[in-house]
This record gives sequence, structure tokens and C-alpha cells, in this order.
Amino acid sequence: MLSQQDMLEAERHGKQVRSIYVYEAPVRLWHWVNALAMVVLAVTGYLIGLPPASVPGEAAEHFLLGYIRFAHFTAGYVFAIGLLARVYWALVGNHHARQIFMLPITNKAWWSEVLFELRWYLFLEKHPKKYVGHNPMAQLMMFFFFTVLAFGMVITGFALYSEGAGLGTWSDRLFGWVLPALGGSMQTHSWHRLGMWIMMSFVLVHVYAAIREDIMSRQSLISTMVSGWRMFKD
Amino acid sequence: MSAYETQGFKLDDSGKRVVVDPVCRIEGHLRVEVNLDKDNVIRNAVSTGTMWRGLEVILKGRDPRDAWAFTERICGVCTGTHALTSVRAVEDALAIQIPENAHLIRNIMQLNLYVHDHLVHFYHLHALDWVDVVSALKADPKKTSELAQSISSWPLSSPGYFRDIQNRLKKFVESGQLGPFMNGYWGSPAYKLPPEANLMAVTHYLEALDFQKEIVKVHTIFGGKNPHPNWLVGGVPCAINLEGTGAVGAVNMERLNLVKHVIDQAAEFVEKVYLPDLLAIASFYKGWLYGGGLSSQAMLSYGDIPDKANDYSAGNLLLPRGAIINGKLDEIHPVDLKDPEQVQEFVTHSWYKYPDESKGLHPFEGITEPHFVLGKNTKGSKTRIEALDESGKYSWLKAPRWRGHAMEVGCLPRMVMAYLQPQRYPMVKDTIDMALKQLDIPLTALFSTLGRTAARGIETLYCAKLQQEMFARLMANLKAGDLNTANISKWEPSTWPKEAKGVGFTEAPRGALGHWIKIKDGKIDNYQCVVPTTWNGSPRDPQGQIGAFEASLLGTPLAKADEPLEILRTLHSFDPCLACSTHVMSPEGQEMSSVKVR
Amino acid sequence: MTETFYDVLRRQGITRRSFLKFCSLTATSLGLGSAAAPRIAHALETKPRTPVLWLHGLECTCCSESFIRSAHPLTKDVVLSMLSLDYDDTLMAAAGHQAEAILEEVKKKYKGQYIVAVEGNPPLNEDGMFCIQGGRPFVEKLKETCADAKAIISWGSCASYGCVQAAKPNPTRATPVHKVITGKPIINVPGCPPIAEVMTGVVTYMLTFDRIPELDRQGRPKMFYGQRIHDKCYRRGHFDAGQFAEAWDDEGARKGYCLYKMGCKGPTTYNACSSMRWNGGVSWPVQSGHGCIGCSEDGFWDKGSFYDRVTQIKQFGVESNADQIGGTVAAVTGAAIAAHAAVTALARARNKNATNGE
Repeated sequence: MLSQQDMLEAERHGKQVRSIYVYEAPVRLWHWVNALAMVVLAVTGYLIGLPPASVPGEAAEHFLLGYIRFAHFTAGYVFAIGLLARVYWALVGNHHARQIFMLPITNKAWWSEVLFELRWYLFLEKHPKKYVGHNPMAQLMMFFFFTVLAFGMVITGFALYSEGAGLGTWSDRLFGWVLPALGGSMQTHSWHRLGMWIMMSFVLVHVYAAIREDIMSRQSLISTMVSGWRMFKD
Repeated sequence: MSAYETQGFKLDDSGKRVVVDPVCRIEGHLRVEVNLDKDNVIRNAVSTGTMWRGLEVILKGRDPRDAWAFTERICGVCTGTHALTSVRAVEDALAIQIPENAHLIRNIMQLNLYVHDHLVHFYHLHALDWVDVVSALKADPKKTSELAQSISSWPLSSPGYFRDIQNRLKKFVESGQLGPFMNGYWGSPAYKLPPEANLMAVTHYLEALDFQKEIVKVHTIFGGKNPHPNWLVGGVPCAINLEGTGAVGAVNMERLNLVKHVIDQAAEFVEKVYLPDLLAIASFYKGWLYGGGLSSQAMLSYGDIPDKANDYSAGNLLLPRGAIINGKLDEIHPVDLKDPEQVQEFVTHSWYKYPDESKGLHPFEGITEPHFVLGKNTKGSKTRIEALDESGKYSWLKAPRWRGHAMEVGCLPRMVMAYLQPQRYPMVKDTIDMALKQLDIPLTALFSTLGRTAARGIETLYCAKLQQEMFARLMANLKAGDLNTANISKWEPSTWPKEAKGVGFTEAPRGALGHWIKIKDGKIDNYQCVVPTTWNGSPRDPQGQIGAFEASLLGTPLAKADEPLEILRTLHSFDPCLACSTHVMSPEGQEMSSVKVR
Repeated sequence: MTETFYDVLRRQGITRRSFLKFCSLTATSLGLGSAAAPRIAHALETKPRTPVLWLHGLECTCCSESFIRSAHPLTKDVVLSMLSLDYDDTLMAAAGHQAEAILEEVKKKYKGQYIVAVEGNPPLNEDGMFCIQGGRPFVEKLKETCADAKAIISWGSCASYGCVQAAKPNPTRATPVHKVITGKPIINVPGCPPIAEVMTGVVTYMLTFDRIPELDRQGRPKMFYGQRIHDKCYRRGHFDAGQFAEAWDDEGARKGYCLYKMGCKGPTTYNACSSMRWNGGVSWPVQSGHGCIGCSEDGFWDKGSFYDRVTQIKQFGVESNADQIGGTVAAVTGAAIAAHAAVTALARARNKNATNGE
């Protein structure tokens, strides 16, 4: 959670210290593995819904959609296990690790920071603020468009996976209820696909904002996710 | 109102009112009320469709290529005929031509439906009106065998065979659990068959039950399943692959052999079991010629089974098209389904609302807005109807009229119109002449309950033969190298005009069926069906004209006032299908919110 | 003495030996193991026939039509020897009062022992008078008949889910049976219609083992609805290989390639079609070239065109599918980012100029 103290700390550091350790190794590792999984999931998922043109020859010679689905399921497992590991790290890691899992919604100052960031992105503020972790606006986006959505994708994903795995398998027992709850298998497919599009839109925003902030707010973002150190440029 | 005259019938509702609800052994839900005079003769009849499913509202805004599946679910008995009507309507609207193979396969499927539907109707929905199951227990199996062998070369006719069935039946009856035969009208003086004929008929009831499931395999091969096979706008969904790679996954020689096998078997069953049974039973009832109703004066058929592909003109139809009015059999009027003056529907006595109910509306302009109100003289309450008031609204069926006339539709009009054009339908004429001669009755005897039932049998034979002919043509076309089954040039909605409208028609086994569609921006804007049982089961119109069911009951004496056997017999002869009696769309621009949804 | 299933077989010239073999095969195919075979044999030899009351609401009678297509057992044998079909509007000899009297009689005589089979569903709008039977709303007849039943079978998608008359906007408020009847075991046997042998299979299972089959979350017998069409589809190999029919009657269609791109709903539909097939195993929709339309799924009418792969999400009101909505979201996001980046660059340049100018 981003506390007021944290922000003050950032300001102070910004002035006095050139860098600070934000993202611990497991978080960084997770981030990049997760990013890769998401790219695989999105591409293969898209193709499962709308497959590529037919391959020629005998069926026995090919396994194209089989491989696509295999890649999707494998990446799905990586994504889900990664998410669980990330939850674990949120519990044991530093306080930045908890940021994307909870919002300080009772904190008035936090809300005013959100407003400030919104104004910054709308070009209504001239100078950006600096944050050690995610800025409050990013945190808000991250929470809804990544964390909540990711759990939604895992749940619908494994519900769909359970259809092939069969009645009585772990995925069916844990997630089989989702299918009738969403109005059947077809509807679940549709929601899962819509979730993919929203997630991809979020990725666009996330990547853009990271690059932009890197340039504009005079603090490191992209390299931070590699090294773990947030660098402040002035 | 106590007494008045219409269409040559005298209606008098002063006598005892008898209610039959439900009328069983039909598709859907029907109620009939009649008034009997002191001699138990029917003097007034009221026919009420008692269900409405509201498909009209449901189709709006959907993909026209999907409409066949929705409309097919109007009826699971005449399954497929609504789907065929629907794809024809869409193809008419979009000017889509179907390939020769698709044309022949569709004809085979439609003819196959006729054979199956008529056979099941005769044995399982209608026979018990003529055949006394319990009397069959008294039959001598040996004499039954002699009877069977005297009328047909069907091999299952030994005394032992009939004895086995009789024993099984005996055990069944002795169990005290009569199942579907419980509370039947067994022993009624209205049953005229000797025990031996009854045993033969009951035996064939069971045999036909076993056999009918074979007939539909033709639908299964071309449409994937039955009931409710699959259809396709622009052709048929089954691809043909006679010898190439993957042929086992398409229509191939083995599939075609199965089709031929079934078609031939069906023709044989009709020839050797159905028709002989029909004539044997009829010979005992030829003195009972009630139930003609409107048939001798007003008949309508849209026609079906186009000979050449993509030509739906009257001259190209192997089941005739036309209208006969005022009893003038020498004049068959042309029928135009797009002419706003010809087919019109009235709702004065139906549970629907029009802005002006004195006028009828053509299906392109039709309105379907439910409005459930009971006449002021109804006995009982809204949810406990004891007797309806036919001077008010009293049915979920609309009242369709052709140029203002109430018409009878179905196999009898089709067969009569074919008989009247012997140069074009020689086989129909010959078969009817043979039947009339064998029974020693005049042509006018056809205008009766029995005549309707006989016409159905004759039509079955005609269709079974036609099915064989269509199959031969399909094989010839395949031999010529044409394997195409679908025209996809207008499959994508982007290729369609912004607005289009069309009519599709078929003859359902029960009678004339039409679908009217309007398409706008690739979606259904308006869809309206006028179905056979709406014609036959029609309530009264603003002029007080009665429908075919009502007319057919008038003048019939009941053997017993509390047993509606004769009423059932006549109603069943029409093969009613009440789920069909739903209208399928409301018109352009109508406020959907006016449909009462609570 | 009532004729039992065993009697029927004996009469048809089947030996006791073959009968017992049949029982053990049945036991194996139902996954019960050989120990259950003697119990099946005993049940078939001695059981009296259970009364079945078959009611019809708003429907098209396709379920009845399907039922009479059963090849094993034959419908004839089901009706004459396995159960006692005491009420069924479509087949029964009686009508009117004589028919309605049967309902009363069976209810009294076999209280708690009879099975109600429902085809179609009750409409609830207009006080139920969109389906009138005996001058009364069907829903009343349904409730009264079910009150003393041992179990209820919901035949087809109408009774199980609502089917076509319940497709939006459902003007009559056609309502599935389980939403009207409570406190009774209800078996949903969806499909439009269900496969004949699935119907007779469910009934004979109940009669033979005197219990209702194991059901899934949606009240369907697991034995017939536990897997998707896709899971047992004979064209699955082409799906996995990535070989599809791309248009009607194209080369792929003629080679029997997967119909996924033609909108086949096999991957999202639970039914037994691909293994049991239809009409005595002759064929089934996919084998005959048309994709599955998903007729045994809840609300299959309202999930977009039967020919679309990616289907509608009805919560969005207007008909939109995930790709339309999602694609739009992504495009708008992309455009917004581009615009935002442009403005950012512009502002930055202006800022720099301002700074330089100082």
C-alpha cells in the first residue's frame, strides 16, 4: 500500500537519494514471465476462436490447433501459478509487492493523488510527481484491469479447461460451476474472449504509460522492472 | 344469437352443450364445444386453439439464415416443412437459385416427411377412431390371417403371427394397466369393424410403430437427425463426395444405398400394408359419410414439389396449386400469395387485437398482438372456462380467408385438384378411381371424414412413388458429374440488398403453409406464417362464416352423447397441428411494447 | 399377470442365456460392473409397470416424435411392457373428460409411485392462459399432477430450459419445469429433441434400478450429458490438425473437415450425439455436414447466429460479440494512446522551447 509516509519518503529520496530498491527479484521475475505468458495466451487464444486457414494433406500429419491449444493451456498454467506465487509474495515481500492487490480506498489523500495523476495525464498539471512504487492512478488501473481481470481470466479459463478435462477433475470441481453461472459454455467462451481484449488494451496503456513516464517524470520505470532499482533523474 | 345460416350450414346453439377438451391424439392443444339436438345430432360447433407461443415477436431482428431453425420448431410432427418454407422465403427475397442436387434432395426430404407423417397419422393418431382394440381380443387369428392374405401379399400374415400379437394384447389388457388405451371408447356402437379386422389393424398399429422410425432415416442422412433435421439457405448442408479422399465423411455410395433402401421399403409398406388396411377399414364405414364440411365447396392448396429447380409457378408443381370456391369443381382459380386481396387474416373472434377488426390483413401487413378477453356469455371465469361464448373472442387461432372465403386445406383439396387435372396427375386419378371402384362409392363420397382419410392414403402412395422418382433423378444428376449442393454466392449478408421481401410456401402434410419475410439491413424485419391448421381450425370471421373444423362437425349424429368418438374421428381426419397455429411475426414498425408482458 | 421385459424377450425367441448376457452387457455399458447384472435381470423379470403421466405444455411435440423413434428398446415394448403410459395427449385413445379422469385416478391409486414426464413448458403470463387445457391454465394441471409424483422427467429443451418460446423477449413467459415445481426430484433431458435412445435409456434406467440416474450441476444425467459433442466428435482429428471447412460445399466440406468455422457449437454443447448418433445410429448433424446448433444448451437461441464462431454477449443489449466489443475497446485504446502521445510530444516540445527561450 502506498502510504502518505511512502510518498513523503519518495519526495525526500528524490531530492536526496538517486535510487531506491523497489521491486524485489521474485516480483521482477514474475513480471516478465507473466508478460510472456500473456502474449502467448492472447495470440493462441485469438487463434483458438478464429483458427488460421486449413492446412493441406492428411489430418494425421498435422496437429496445428492441437499445438496452439497446448501452448494456450501451458501458458495458462504458467499465468495462473504465477498469479498464485505473486499473491504469496504479496504476503511475504516488501510493501510495494502488495500494491496491486489492495487499494487504500479509505485514504482521502490517496484519492486526491489519484485525481492529481488524472489531471497530469490530461495535461492539466505541468509537473509530475514521483513515486517509489506505482503511482496511485496506475495502482487503480492495475488493480482493476490486471489483478481483478487476471483472476477472472483464470477462473473462466479453467472452467473452459474443465470441459475437456471432464466431470470430476480438479478443474471441474473448482471451476465447473462457472459455466452454468455465466449462462453456458458458449457465453463463458465469449466472456473469456472479451476479457482477453480488455487485458490487451490494458497492456497497451501500461506499456505506453511506462515509456512516457520514463521520459516525462524524470524517474526510471522500465529499467526498474529489470534491476529493481528506481532511479531518480533530478 | 341462437340460430343463423352461413355457407349453407344452419347453426343452432339451443341444444345441450358438450365440451371436449383436450382433444387428444393431435399435435398441440385443441378444444371443441358442440351443441346437440334431442337426437344427439351436432347443430353448432366451436373450435378453439388453446395455445399461443409468440414466435412472432421472437424472430424479429434475427439473422434470416437462422430463421429455418426457429420456424422448424413450430412443429415437431411435420418437422422440416416449416424449415423448407423458411429457406424458400429467404431465397425468394434474396433471389437465390439452388443447385439441382439441393433441389432433388429437398424434394426427397419433403416427400419423405409426407410418407412418414401420413403413416403415423393413420395408425397412431387416427386408427383408434375406427378400430376397437378390445374387440381384437375376440378375433380368430386364422380368419384374421385369411383376411390379411386376401387383401395383400405382405408376408407377415400367418395365423401364428396374429395369434402372438393377440396373446400379447390379451396379457396387456389382463394386467389391468391399459396405458394409452385406458378409458377409450371400446365397445361403442360407433365402431363397425369385425374382430378380425380389428386384430389386423391393431397388429399393423404396432408394426407401423416399429417401421416408421426407419422412414425418417432419409432425413437423418441428409439433415443429420430427425425430428428437426438441418437445412441451409442456398442449398442443403450435406456435401456429396462419391469417390474422393474423405468420401466417408460425406454423402457417398453407402449413404445413397441406405436412402434407396429406406425409400423402397417405405413404398412397399404403403402399398402392401397402409393402403390395403385403409380400404379394408373404409369398406365397413362407407355408410358413415359425415364430416365433409367445407370440402365440397371451398378448397385451397398452395402446391409443392417443384419439378424443375427454382421454378415455383403452378405449372411446375407436382402437388397441385389452386383454389376452388362455391363448389365449382370445374374451375380452379390461380393463387397468388403476394396479392394483398387473396390471403387475409381476421381476428374478430381471435384473442388478438387489430386497429380495425372488421377488416382482414394480408400477411405482409399482419399484426399479432395478443388480447385475451372472453365473450360476455362465457360460463366460468378467466382461468376456469366451462363453456366459451363464440359471439366474442374464443380462440388463439386467427381466421384466414381466401378472397373472403373460409377454405379447407390439406390432402383432400390436393388430391381432388389433382384428380380434376388427370392429364397432369394421371397416377392420382387412377388410384382414386381404383379406390372408388373397389369401395363402390361415387366421387362425391370423398367429401367426408372418410374421404379425407382415404385421400391421405392415396397421397402417401403418390408421394412414396414420387420419392423413388426423385431419387432416380438424383442418381442421374450425380452420374452426369454434378456434385454441387450449395450456392454460396449470397451467403454473406454484405451481398444482400438493403431491403428485401419474399414468400416461401410448401404443402405441409396438413395443408397449405406460407411464410412471408421482410429483410432489412441483413436482419429479419417482419416474419409471418399462415399455417394449415389456422385455415382448418379457424374461428368465425366478421361475417360469421365458420371454419373447416366447425363446418365438418355439423349434422353428425353421436352414438352416445357423452362419448365424443365421432367428433374425434372427424377432427382427426384433418390431422390437426395446433402448435403450428402460431403467427410468427408482427409487422414493420409495430410497437413491441404493446405485447403484454407482465 | 403383467408382461415383463423378460417375458417380451422370451416371447421374441430370446433364450434365458442371451437374456442374462444382455443384462451383463447392460451393466457393463452403464459402468456398473458385472455384479449388477443379476439385479438387472431380477428387476426386468419381476417388476410391475410404473405409471407414467406424460403432460404437454407449450411445445412442438418433437420430443414425442423422437421417443417413438427409439430403436432399442422399441417404443412398442416400452409402452406395452416396461411402463404404463396412462396419460399422453398425443397417443391416448381417450379425450376430454375421459382423459382428464385418468389423471385423477392414477394420482389416487399410485400416490407417490408414478412418474410425470413433461414435454414443453408452462407460460406464466396472462394468468397462464397462453396454454389452456380443460378450460384451465396448463401450469395448474402441471402442479397438481406433479404433487404426488415420485419423480419428474423434463423432456427436451422446452421443459428443461424454455427453448424457442422462451427465446427473448419470451412474450408468454414460458418457464422451465424446475422453476415451477419444487421439492421433487427432476431430471432434465435437454435437446430439441433429445435422442430417442437417450429418452428410453433414462426411463429404463429409472425403472430398472429404481433410482434416478446421477445428475450433473444442471440436473442432466451424467451418462448422456457428461461430455461435449466435440469431445467425441469423429471430426476432432481435423480440428486438432487445423483442417476446416471454410464455406458450404467447399473442398473441406466434401472431405469431412471440421465444421468449427461454419459455426458448429459442438465444442460448447453437452450431448451424446457424436457417440450415440441419431435414428438408430444412422448419422448425426455434423456427419451430415451441418454444424451442431447447440440445441441441448440453455438459451441456445439467444447466443448469436448458428453460423457465427464468436457469439453474442447479450448483456450488452445490442447484439455484439466479444470480438466486436473487444476489438473496439483495443482500437479506441490504441487511438487514445496515439493521440495522447502526440499531445505529450507537442507539450514537451513547447515546454522545451519555452525553457530555451528563457
